[in-house]
Amino acid sequence: MAFGFCNVLPFSSFLDENENGLRWSCMASHRVGPVGETGLSDSGPSNPHVPYSVFHGSNVPTSFINQEGSAFDFRELEEAIVLQGVKIRNDEAKAPLFTGRPAATLEMFPSWPMRFQTTPRGSSKSGGESTDSGSAVNTFSSKAEVQLESESPISNKASSSDHQAFDHQKHLQLQQQQIQQEMANDRSRAGPSQNQSDVKAPQEKRKGSGGSSSTSEKQLDAKTLRRLAQNREAARKSRLRKKAYVQQLESSRMKLTHIEQDLQRARAQGLFLGGCGGAGGNLSSGAAIFDMEYARWLEDDHRLMAELRTGLHAHLSDGDLRLIVEGYISHYDEIFRLKGVAAKSDVFHVITGLWMTPAERCFLWIGGFRPSDLIKMLIGQLEPLTEQQLVGIYRLQQSTQQAEEALSQGQEQLQQSLIETIAAAGPVIDGMQQMVVALGKLSNLEGFVRQADNLRQQTLHQLRHVLTIRQAARCFLVIGEYYGRLRALSSLWASRPRESLMSEDHNSCQTTATDHLQIVHQSAHNHFSTF
Amino acid sequence: MHYQTESWGSYMPTRSANVGDPLERIERLASENAVVIFSMSTCCMCHAIKRLFCGMGVNPTVHELDEDPRGKDMERALMRLLGNSSAVPVVFIGGKLVGAMDRVMASHINGSLVPLLKEAGALWL
Repeated sequence: MAFGFCNVLPFSSFLDENENGLRWSCMASHRVGPVGETGLSDSGPSNPHVPYSVFHGSNVPTSFINQEGSAFDFRELEEAIVLQGVKIRNDEAKAPLFTGRPAATLEMFPSWPMRFQTTPRGSSKSGGESTDSGSAVNTFSSKAEVQLESESPISNKASSSDHQAFDHQKHLQLQQQQIQQEMANDRSRAGPSQNQSDVKAPQEKRKGSGGSSSTSEKQLDAKTLRRLAQNREAARKSRLRKKAYVQQLESSRMKLTHIEQDLQRARAQGLFLGGCGGAGGNLSSGAAIFDMEYARWLEDDHRLMAELRTGLHAHLSDGDLRLIVEGYISHYDEIFRLKGVAAKSDVFHVITGLWMTPAERCFLWIGGFRPSDLIKMLIGQLEPLTEQQLVGIYRLQQSTQQAEEALSQGQEQLQQSLIETIAAAGPVIDGMQQMVVALGKLSNLEGFVRQADNLRQQTLHQLRHVLTIRQAARCFLVIGEYYGRLRALSSLWASRPRESLMSEDHNSCQTTATDHLQIVHQSAHNHFSTF
Repeated sequence: MHYQTESWGSYMPTRSANVGDPLERIERLASENAVVIFSMSTCCMCHAIKRLFCGMGVNPTVHELDEDPRGKDMERALMRLLGNSSAVPVVFIGGKLVGAMDRVMASHINGSLVPLLKEAGALWL
């Protein structure tokens, strides 16, 4: 797959606009230059540090995006290394986006347009072996510099991106070093590699290949096989992620064209449109992945709710309905799991609810909904309940409230402690130490998000236990519809008429209830068609 | 909530006499009271778990490991016991291990915590 993995220091993103309105956003918290990513860990499936360069542009060549190769397959690099000298099929056909066999860490750059993909093809062919990462990196970086200048959305940052290109090259090669050492390759590199040593290295490999082809089979022992299998799995998951990402990219592109049209219209009216949704600005890689996964989760949510609805109306047997209900609960388990992964890589994104719609964010509690609010909302809607069930629901309400209170107090103590630490940061030398302490304290945030999600998950599971199957099915339908409406409210609010803001007469600045009614009627068929 | 501090009193430990498997010590301390929490004074999740029990009207016994001379060993032992990267907070009820924050909250939500507390005599009515 196309995603690189990065675990380097935080950096400041750079954002620029050229005359075409193209916009580069690079992922904060990862050192991602225009040349791409670093640092792949070859252990598997869920490495959350996947940086993207999200490319918002209305004139992205679509053929670029439709490149369906399964893109870069790390496992093949590894197999190549393992089976030294065994000629592996040339992967250029599958991965035209990359410079032949870059370092395992050099991954897809979705922001690079077509021009980019043709040049590496040439260089990769000259590079020959898929293991010839060194020279590929060289040609790549020099090509990248050329690309940067010609592309130049970051025109005034060409020099810094050169630096980054070189830094990335260093990182790539350091990472490659690690991988090769892992594979018990006896080739060793000395420190930050130079171009020359990279060129030498593949030659060494070729030399070694003749003699070691007999040992290559022996090297396919159980451990290696398992590692290969793991890598295959990781590659498969990466391919899936890439697909999802590409879909998201496409839809974002559509959205952006619409927004730009709106902007044009508004500018023509001399009006300033503020707030273009949450898509602007910088997203860390973990955040971007999560947003994508959440979007997919929402689609699944629609589908599962439709299943619940039809299941209830069709008067299915309890057994069949149970399957659907359990499916819906697993669906929620899944989002909590995804949030856990996202919190590891970007806790601020999760805890500040950037992935939610604004209306949902109003009710934010430690990165999600407040379980006791949910129970409050449900209480009137679950009737009829037996006495025992009522007791169960009220107990649930009480225990969620107590647990929420405890977590909130813990978080407050964390905040207080942080305030003291940050305030105490004195002159530079002491200040640094205090900052380090503050960083340590911030890391506790992830724990709170996890516990809050744990609480939400347990609440949903307990609801399932207190209620009968039919009641549970209705309950989850109610929950799904409730949040659907809340999300719709955000869209409606965003699209409410602003003419009143243009008015010179300040008395008419307030939108009236009738205005709101008009919006609802106008948008009703759009927003409520899914319900 | 009351905090337990070891009184050295007449016992003068020499370096080599720092006996006691930390795990044994943990179990001993855990069985001394109905609800025992191993915590660290700087840990805010520990603060949350203390608030949870106090909010329920329970009076837990808290051992702050960072204020205990043998705290480091106990911390390591707890980490091994829980299989966690974080040793605290950890809760014992009626001498038996309940777990860390996630287990405690899960058992509170699914209704098993209160009976456990009542059984241990930490909660009445």
